Amino acid sequence: MVLARVKGTVVSTHKPSSMEGLKLLLLEKIDPVSMKGKGDFVVAIDSVGANAGEIVFYVTGSSARMTETTKGKPSDATIIAIVDVIEKDGAFTYQKAAVQE
Amino acid sequence: MTLARVRGTVVADQRSDGVEHPRFLLIEECDQSGTGKGEFLVALDMVGADRGQLVLLAQGSSCRWTYLTENKPMDVLVVAIVDTIDQGGLDVWKQE
Repeated sequence: MVLARVKGTVVSTHKPSSMEGLKLLLLEKIDPVSMKGKGDFVVAIDSVGANAGEIVFYVTGSSARMTETTKGKPSDATIIAIVDVIEKDGAFTYQKAAVQE
Repeated sequence: MTLARVRGTVVADQRSDGVEHPRFLLIEECDQSGTGKGEFLVALDMVGADRGQLVLLAQGSSCRWTYLTENKPMDVLVVAIVDTIDQGGLDVWKQE
């Protein structure tokens, strides 16, 4: 699973009917030590209700079709979790509550 | 299968993976002597790995071939804790 920050939304009206109703989000991969973006962007289907600014992780490949949202859908990147805390070597590099306050 | 070092943990309450009581680890890809490459991933822990340990990762669809992750959206799994690595007769990794 890859850590990323939600940077925005992607809208598409011209797509197969199987993809209707799916939320596409623009993600930027992050370095979990500095919490800075790597300048590497992907579009992923949201299955957890993530919002802009939140840290998430997503699965790729055939695993991306294994959520209730994306079962049988042509997704190869699906957000499966909204991150609350990242801890590295005993120290927090990210705490969601601390960001919102 | 690739080698990685356990660097920490990742906590996420809002999830859609359907895995019960998962433990997510922050892991850093590394070489056979345990030197980190600066690339981090989140992995589901299957073996109770601790910080600093060298672990073996399974990635891709192979991750779904465990009782815990069958048909679940998981693509990085910690499947083993490495004790020793021998390269050309030399121990390049030995767990303390």
